[in-house]
Amino acid sequence: MRRAILQKKALIRRIGLYLLCALICIYSFFPIYWMIISGTKAPDHLFHHPTLIPGPFTLEYYSTLFQLTSYPTWFKNSILAALGTVVITMVCSIMIAYAVSRYRIKGKTWIISTMLFAYMFPPILMAIPLFSIFAKIGLADSLFSLVVAHTTIALPLGVWLLWGFFNAMPFQLEEAAMVDGHTRLGAFLRVVLPLSLPGLVTVGIFAFLLSWTDYTYALIMITSDTMKTLPVGLAGMVGAYEMRWGEIMAGATAIALPLLALFTFLSRYFIEGLAAGAVKG
Amino acid sequence: MPSSHHSNSTLKSDWIIKFFLVIGLLVTGLFIVLPLIHAIQLSFYHLESFVSEPQWIGLKNYAKALHDPVFWRDLLNGVIYAGFSIFFQVVLGIGIAVVLSKSFKGKQVVRGISILPYLLPTAIVSLTFLWMMDGSLGIITLGFAKIGIYNVPWFETPFTAMATVIFISVWLWTPFVTTCFLAGLQSVPQELYDAAKVDGLSAWGTFWKVTIPVLRPILTVIVLLRGIWMFNKFDVIWLMTMGGPLGATEHLPVLAYKKTFSMFDVGGGAAVATLSLMILTAVIFIYFKLFPFEEK
Repeated sequence: MRRAILQKKALIRRIGLYLLCALICIYSFFPIYWMIISGTKAPDHLFHHPTLIPGPFTLEYYSTLFQLTSYPTWFKNSILAALGTVVITMVCSIMIAYAVSRYRIKGKTWIISTMLFAYMFPPILMAIPLFSIFAKIGLADSLFSLVVAHTTIALPLGVWLLWGFFNAMPFQLEEAAMVDGHTRLGAFLRVVLPLSLPGLVTVGIFAFLLSWTDYTYALIMITSDTMKTLPVGLAGMVGAYEMRWGEIMAGATAIALPLLALFTFLSRYFIEGLAAGAVKG
Repeated sequence: MPSSHHSNSTLKSDWIIKFFLVIGLLVTGLFIVLPLIHAIQLSFYHLESFVSEPQWIGLKNYAKALHDPVFWRDLLNGVIYAGFSIFFQVVLGIGIAVVLSKSFKGKQVVRGISILPYLLPTAIVSLTFLWMMDGSLGIITLGFAKIGIYNVPWFETPFTAMATVIFISVWLWTPFVTTCFLAGLQSVPQELYDAAKVDGLSAWGTFWKVTIPVLRPILTVIVLLRGIWMFNKFDVIWLMTMGGPLGATEHLPVLAYKKTFSMFDVGGGAAVATLSLMILTAVIFIYFKLFPFEEK
């Protein structure tokens, strides 16, 4: 008898757990689902009594988007800005983190605390002077200025993550390689860097994400339509035309899909970085 | 040991590390310190645009901001926005983390899905919710109509506009909290749970007496970090309401942006941004005094 009751209780718990999971999935996924669906639903259905199920399918929003708007240009700009941010952030944060982890001087706490302090800067506070500086040197409204702006947010994160990685690596590693006849640079490139690959991938992913998803800096640093990145360009479509929600949702899907693909393949690094950045920051 | 002494001296004299350090100092100085100094510098000038001739006015921009009731209203709005967003992010984040820490089939899939909102660009999420909350065609608006709640003014009244931007921010950033807590929950030793069982604690009691104390250090950091980021967050509010209706959702970042880029007051905008960094610094200082970090 008692055992049956216990089993029943366990069953109810199990069902409750699955219900909660279903709820979590619907809550987290429905807006994404609706974005994808809206970008492929024929206009007479999208704008008159839309149903929750997908279809009837159409690709007309995508073709409008790619043929009649600056979307392809924005896409190219976004990719270039993100790649630039990834490269500069990685090179700089590797150098800074390695120097700070291996060099024993007082100035290093200064670098690390500046980085931590930069973590809490209001983006607006950085964007206003950056725009002003680039306007003075005649480089305002360029992808380069945007890359620099994105690097100011990605760099503190990169240095912080890699600093932890290099610190966890014993000095003896390089020493052994140097005894074997490598220079310090050789030891660094051949021993330290390959071993910190997971950290490097995490930093790369975060730099890419920060740049690809940024709206605030791009809104301020970029003024001409041909220099815009995807988020700012797409957001500009609201209100600019009559409400073209089909095109806007198609455009949103095309921005989100690369991220979802990236996440599917690299989720381990992503979650690691997220946890490390949070617990340490 | 002689060998470690030797290695110490090679570490110090190595040119490549020195080179890295110099580059590091240069980059930090150029990318982070210089803009910060320039922002503070701008805040002492009167200038209408970035190309006009700046005019030194000392602390007048600060005096003007602090005497402006709009500044205080926006500060309060920012505190409300950040406060409620973090509160709901933490509560929901812990809840979801506890559910996802149980073992069941398909756990990895549910975990993956629960993180998705955090991956999406803010602008895309804001646009999607703008569409879903469209007054006549939005799927959320239609859904509410189905259950008899018609014409909810999502963006038109001060209360609903604030609630809407808070809800979207919670949706976007809860996964960050969930992920951190999931990592934390995995570090709770099983013996503690076993001991709680022996003591006859209920699931609810175990949660409060075992789980929460273990998560406390993470909680301290998360509330601080998320608090700072939410206080500084510009894009959700700008995209959804532009600070409206009638300034009901306008906070300091939006005020600084409007002053700088649409009210021809670059100095004033820089002053507001600098003030909000000063407020943040003060709050963080007090926070560390109240909740000192426990060393691991």
